[in-house]
Amino acid sequence: MRVFFPSEFKILFVILFGLLLVSFLGQYSAFNGCWDGHVQRHIVRIIAGVVVMWCIYAVDFKFWINFAYVFYAFVFVSLIIVDLLGIMKLGAQRWIDLYFFTFQPSELMKLALILSLARYYSLLSPLEMTECKYHISPIFLTLLPSILIFKQPDLGTAGLLLCVGLGIVFLAGFPLKIFATLIISCIALCPLGWFYLRDYQKNRILTFLEPDRDPLGTGYHILQSKIAIGSGHVFGRGFLQGTQSKLNFLPEKNTDFIFTTIAEETGFVGALFVLFLFLSLCGYMFWAAAEVRLRFAKIMCYGLGMLVFLHVFVNVAMVVGLLPIVGIPLPFLSYGGNAMIMFMIGCGLVMSAQKKY
Amino acid sequence: MLSNGSQNDAKFRVRIIIGIISLLSAVLVFHLYWLQISNAEKYSLMSNKNRIKLLPILPKRGRVISADGKIIAGNVCRHKLVMDRCGEKVFHENMELLNQCLDLTDEDNMRISDLRKTKIPFIVIKDGLSWDEYAKLSMMLFRLNGVFVENTYVRDYKMPLEFSHVVGYVSKDVGKMQILSGKTGIEATFNRQLVGKAGNVQTEVNAAGKRVRVISSEDPVDGKDIVVTIDSELQKYVYGLLSLEKAAACVVLDISNGEVLAMVSVPSFDPNLISGRMTYSQWQAIAHDPMFPMMNRAACCSYPPGSIFKIVVAFAALSEGATSPQDKILCAGGVKLDDRVFHCWNRKGHGKINLYDALKFSCDCYFFEAAKKLGINAIVKYAQKFGFGAETGIEIPNESAGLLPSKQWKFLRYGTSWKPYETMLAGIGQGALLATLMQSAVMLGKLYTGNYDFCPTLIKGGQKYVAVNPINREQSAVIIEALRQVCASGTASRSCRTDYGISGKTGSSQVRTIKSHEVGMDQKLLQWKMRDHAFFVGCAPNKNPRYVVAVLVEHGGGGAHVAAPIARKIFDRLTTK
Repeated sequence: MRVFFPSEFKILFVILFGLLLVSFLGQYSAFNGCWDGHVQRHIVRIIAGVVVMWCIYAVDFKFWINFAYVFYAFVFVSLIIVDLLGIMKLGAQRWIDLYFFTFQPSELMKLALILSLARYYSLLSPLEMTECKYHISPIFLTLLPSILIFKQPDLGTAGLLLCVGLGIVFLAGFPLKIFATLIISCIALCPLGWFYLRDYQKNRILTFLEPDRDPLGTGYHILQSKIAIGSGHVFGRGFLQGTQSKLNFLPEKNTDFIFTTIAEETGFVGALFVLFLFLSLCGYMFWAAAEVRLRFAKIMCYGLGMLVFLHVFVNVAMVVGLLPIVGIPLPFLSYGGNAMIMFMIGCGLVMSAQKKY
Repeated sequence: MLSNGSQNDAKFRVRIIIGIISLLSAVLVFHLYWLQISNAEKYSLMSNKNRIKLLPILPKRGRVISADGKIIAGNVCRHKLVMDRCGEKVFHENMELLNQCLDLTDEDNMRISDLRKTKIPFIVIKDGLSWDEYAKLSMMLFRLNGVFVENTYVRDYKMPLEFSHVVGYVSKDVGKMQILSGKTGIEATFNRQLVGKAGNVQTEVNAAGKRVRVISSEDPVDGKDIVVTIDSELQKYVYGLLSLEKAAACVVLDISNGEVLAMVSVPSFDPNLISGRMTYSQWQAIAHDPMFPMMNRAACCSYPPGSIFKIVVAFAALSEGATSPQDKILCAGGVKLDDRVFHCWNRKGHGKINLYDALKFSCDCYFFEAAKKLGINAIVKYAQKFGFGAETGIEIPNESAGLLPSKQWKFLRYGTSWKPYETMLAGIGQGALLATLMQSAVMLGKLYTGNYDFCPTLIKGGQKYVAVNPINREQSAVIIEALRQVCASGTASRSCRTDYGISGKTGSSQVRTIKSHEVGMDQKLLQWKMRDHAFFVGCAPNKNPRYVVAVLVEHGGGGAHVAAPIARKIFDRLTTK
């Protein structure tokens, strides 16, 4: 039994159990309380995720250190393949069809980037870390996949990848002054990026800035989402009682807007509980990062913690109307296999890191 | 953090990251608080507005039923196919399915796509579905989103031409959903009783507009039926008689209780058309018809009453002592006033005649003299008592009050003083004097019942009058006797001499000044617009007066030749029943 549920991970298991339970109930409700194929598939994914997590944990941690660059190269090539022959879905090229499931390299890229950056910094000497030139290759490691993903086009994932990469570079000791200058100049250059955006992306941003611009068109999603969350009040409309989601006013209620479904039915209390679970997971990873001795493991844990938080923040900020709609899933809770497996692998890596200082 | 040499720097960087994470989390929590606690009311309301649709259930409008139990205005159910506003995709799916079971023409499709551009919350796909289409649609309905069949009741008028002016018509008010409201006739006067109270049903709908379940409902209260005093068979018969004329009207009263047994105006119109199934050109045809078919000539149009007004003048003369029944006045074919000569219709003159003969032959000179003696004030006083110059109170909107000229009226209207010749003209019911046919009938009703309070009604058990102002029997008996002689041996003797006995008065009111070369000219040779209005008012049977009939034939010529024969036929029918 100890092999399957090592007792040192009690806290992590409690958090994960909570999240997966919320995930199941949320999906069950979002599919209108029908015990149909979709809900069953979601359960299969949860179980598959747990198995994958355990497998990752079981693998010797040194393997990941050696494997990091190979992994990165493999995912990077996949991204190029997606660009070249990926199938068209919802107007964006993000998938490779592997017959039994569609493979989304951009999800794995997040892990690959964290691993390869950790690998890179683990070999630098402390003195080298304070010098600017040693940070150039990590920045390229971050920028290249980000640009590829941006071209797919997937603005959200590209931005998220960039944030995670830069976060790691910042933690690794990139000189503060230059870092601050870079960030400020990037923000200043943002308006130029406008010209590289597609029409629908421009629309989303315009709608975000002015939600009443087109309440039945592009503003519809965000307005309906705000109505649903707002009508939840303190304790919500009750499990399976959310009218906005049950009567289909809410779009994408299983994927990007799963948080809205939960917030409508369980109210402010439920929404805070879900946020608390995610912040606990993030905190657990940061705590693990502080605990582990290996520098590779430290950087990896910080990176994963930031990845979880950024996903949660962008998704929730998006559904409550604080950010434009960019299509970032909520970890564990959104319907879909790629993100689920990716975060399970992440948890497995953290456990693995703790096993082997 | 990662450089062992600068532990503090590493910790500082981690703290910055944790600080940013805490800050962003706080933003999320505060925003959720703002949405779910501060603005919960607002969003709950919007959520309910999304899903709850309030639909009216229309009440059935009350029917109008004739005295003999026929339904004159009823309701027929019509099925209407309606689609809520919906997205482009849903719309096309719907239309594809609908095209399978309905024959929608290109014109229909054009209209539907035009309607989609407006902000109307729902689109009428097709009105008046046939049973075949209804059956096909019912099978299909569960596959359609936001499409449903609405059952509406439309007004259905039986005998539309006969009853159009009495019953009136209905139409939808702007901004009042689909509740019909009466516009003229009984439909308008009794709209409040007829209309009932609308109910409603609250339904929950999904985003595609499909109804999911009923939340609550309130049943409508149907309108009350109205029973009118009109006898449908008689009305039909009278309409048949009048429709031979270009423009005419008739009122039949039962003076025992004031009920209007028939009220017909010709030409007529079809209220079924106006109540919602009319094209623009059909409306134009009715609205711009030079004969004004929508005018109720029986109660809402005023005419110079002509000789029938002599009844009032004769009564006034007797009451005021201006003359006695046997006093004779010389009629020499005209009366000279200042420089003008006012002719009797008979230019040869009637010789010396008393009151009976004056009414019998409708001598103008006699009444010129009587009017001169009475003065306009006395004439107006008695005309008012007999109901002229005011609405009779019949339950029809826009009733005309006619016009009773007086010195005061003249001064206010024209700013000039009253001239003696105007009094003379008023004495024979001409000049500025105007009255409706209903007023003439009511005048006779008052005379025969011996009661100034007599008033007509269109509703069974409607207006009941209390007799408090009796008419002097002595004088009314004289007038009634004279009116009997009119039909026995006077102007109306050719058409109205009968076994049961009719008493009445003919009238031919001029609509212009007769030029000297036209004297005695046959009216039929004149242009229609130039001819006299033909009047007859009468009462029968003589033994026990019960029915008053008033007939007007617009520009019909002589009252004796045109109006009296029609009245005779009506009396025949009334008394043999």
